[in-house]
Amino acid sequence: MKKLPSTLTYMTVSLGVITIVAGALLAWVHEITAAPIAEAAQRKQVEAIRAVLPEFDNDPTSQKVTWTPMAGSEPFMIFPAYKGNTFAGAAVEGYSLNGFSGEVRIMYGFNAAGDITGYEVLSHAETPGLGAKMNEWFRTDMGRRSVIGKNPARTSMYVTKDPGGEIDAITAATISSRAFLSTLRECYDAFVYYKTEKTVSNE
Amino acid sequence: MAQLLTVSASPHIHTKRTVAGCMRHVTIALLPAAACALYFFGIGALIVIATSIAACAATEYIINRWMLRRPSTLADGSAILTGLLLAFNLPSNLPVWAVIIGSVVAIGIGKMAFGGLGCNIWNPALVGRVFLLISFPVQMTSWPLPLVNRSEYFDAVTGATTLGILKLGEADSASIDILASATGAIGGSLGEVSAIALLIGFIYLLCMKVITWHIPVSILGTVALFTLCIGGNLAVELLSGGLMLGACFMATDYVTSPMSKKGMLIFGVMIGLITVIIRRWGAYPEGVSFAILLMNGFVPLIDRYIKPRKFGERRSKS
Amino acid sequence: MNKLRIIYNGLVTENPTFVLLLGMCPTLGTTGSAITGLSMGLATSGVLVCSNAAISAIKNMVPDKVRIPAYIVVIATFVTLLQMFMQAYLPSLNESLGIFIPLIVVNCILLGRAEAYASRHSVIDSVFDGIGIGCGFTVALTLLGSIRELLGTGTVFGARIFPETYGSLVFVLAPGAFIALGFLIAIINHVRNRNKS
Repeated sequence: MKKLPSTLTYMTVSLGVITIVAGALLAWVHEITAAPIAEAAQRKQVEAIRAVLPEFDNDPTSQKVTWTPMAGSEPFMIFPAYKGNTFAGAAVEGYSLNGFSGEVRIMYGFNAAGDITGYEVLSHAETPGLGAKMNEWFRTDMGRRSVIGKNPARTSMYVTKDPGGEIDAITAATISSRAFLSTLRECYDAFVYYKTEKTVSNE
Repeated sequence: MAQLLTVSASPHIHTKRTVAGCMRHVTIALLPAAACALYFFGIGALIVIATSIAACAATEYIINRWMLRRPSTLADGSAILTGLLLAFNLPSNLPVWAVIIGSVVAIGIGKMAFGGLGCNIWNPALVGRVFLLISFPVQMTSWPLPLVNRSEYFDAVTGATTLGILKLGEADSASIDILASATGAIGGSLGEVSAIALLIGFIYLLCMKVITWHIPVSILGTVALFTLCIGGNLAVELLSGGLMLGACFMATDYVTSPMSKKGMLIFGVMIGLITVIIRRWGAYPEGVSFAILLMNGFVPLIDRYIKPRKFGERRSKS
Repeated sequence: MNKLRIIYNGLVTENPTFVLLLGMCPTLGTTGSAITGLSMGLATSGVLVCSNAAISAIKNMVPDKVRIPAYIVVIATFVTLLQMFMQAYLPSLNESLGIFIPLIVVNCILLGRAEAYASRHSVIDSVFDGIGIGCGFTVALTLLGSIRELLGTGTVFGARIFPETYGSLVFVLAPGAFIALGFLIAIINHVRNRNKS
């Protein structure tokens, strides 16, 4: 077959056909993958909740409650957990805009008493090797690093450099550590709000 | 070599100045600051300076001998000066292995990879320092406190630098001891702490006509002016951090600074501006090394646009 | 032309990273670890083989004056398909490669091969060219990724080689990518020159 000449008709038809075929192909694959994509996103959230919380047998994502730290800002998400009919704790997904380089998004788990049962850094842009260590640092049982098992009502969740602080900051990454702990404090506020006002019995 | 030289018409003026001579003058000018470093940081300063000089000289020797296979260039003293300047930019409790890595990078990547002295685009000592700063931020940003650590190397008590404290907002600038900043009784890199000792060295270099005033004065002047404009504390900004060391000794390196006076002024003003911008709005508390390296990259461009006119050449109309 | 020769050409003689210096953006951006380098190389290779085949197949139906937009549409379609599949079935990999997956569209290797090779060779030859160049790119990215991961964190493909305390952060960050790439190219050129003489 000879190459088509560059006349207006041929150019229009050729590009038209290519875009239509491409569009159709994309639409078809979108149709196939839309459900798995949504499922993958959902699964990620559920896995994070499972990782930070003790045992529960309800579906926390379906009972999601939102809490706004400041008027006009993006809300935190509270995922309550129940075992049987009793309140077992909640996972709170919060964020801080005061990281070393932008937003840090973390999910914390609290048991019914408010003790921290776990946390998971969902997304961040901190410096590798410094602030990026936050996903391990605050669960390492060394010195006063770990926040696991502590209760923000009794332990002052500030870095030791700040007045009254009782948590060791990541070496050379005080700003990241402050962002981590401020998110933790706000998530705890969200947890307390849920516990005092929203706890429902699952009957 | 002699027959390759192109000899132009007379008059010929001979100066006794040699590369080795200039390097020796700069090294002498750094001695007061080195003495201050030894006084304030003791054994740690000694170990870091000795390691750095030895490692720089060894790297240059090895590369000349086995990789480039050409005569040793150690005699010009530039490797020793690079080693000394690199040590001045490091905290006094930096582990020996890190000092060696920094020296190898400074000489190997910063200088020899470009072809040796005179061919490098970036200041070798600063290349080494910035490499270490990005690679090992924990070790590079824990500064031993002066005086109390004179006999300690590994277990030195550390604290933040003046600029670090300002950056974190832990103190306001009014509470900082200006006198300590001037004499050097503050936390920081080895050679950057004592502004007075560095100034003595600078004046020596000026008197020996090794450097001209253009670059240091334009850097310091710009920092001062810009700081005043944005309402900072003038004395603190000028005296703390690596500004004095950078302005007087690092930015004035012959190889990596512009040739013409006008070019030097542009170079200096831009370094001053970038320094204040990084200090004020950047992620790092100190920005002198980054500012100098950035502007080193612009030197060929500056030299190209501020070319001296040939004798008799007219300024083009366009 | 011998099919093996085409592949050898892409892998060695015209290696896109070390010889042609094409596609530098993903080369520097996604080689922080061996595994991301490898996956980026494979993803790009997949798109390259498909786009080479498709462009070669339609080469006579596309008038010369509109060939560039036509090629871009074809390449962008394949990249979008790849991204949707990755989001659906490999979400964690998709997240670690991030913005670089959609950016395959503007990778000059793809348009370069379309223009220089696929638009004037048969479909079969173009597929082999895609495989060759793709392999060259994948090998280069994996090599660079392994070196950076080894120097930066002391591991290769997650397996620890140097002790835990070791780690030269600069190699994880962008400046280290430039330094490592520069030295790799220097070494490769050195070996080439030695073989020649």
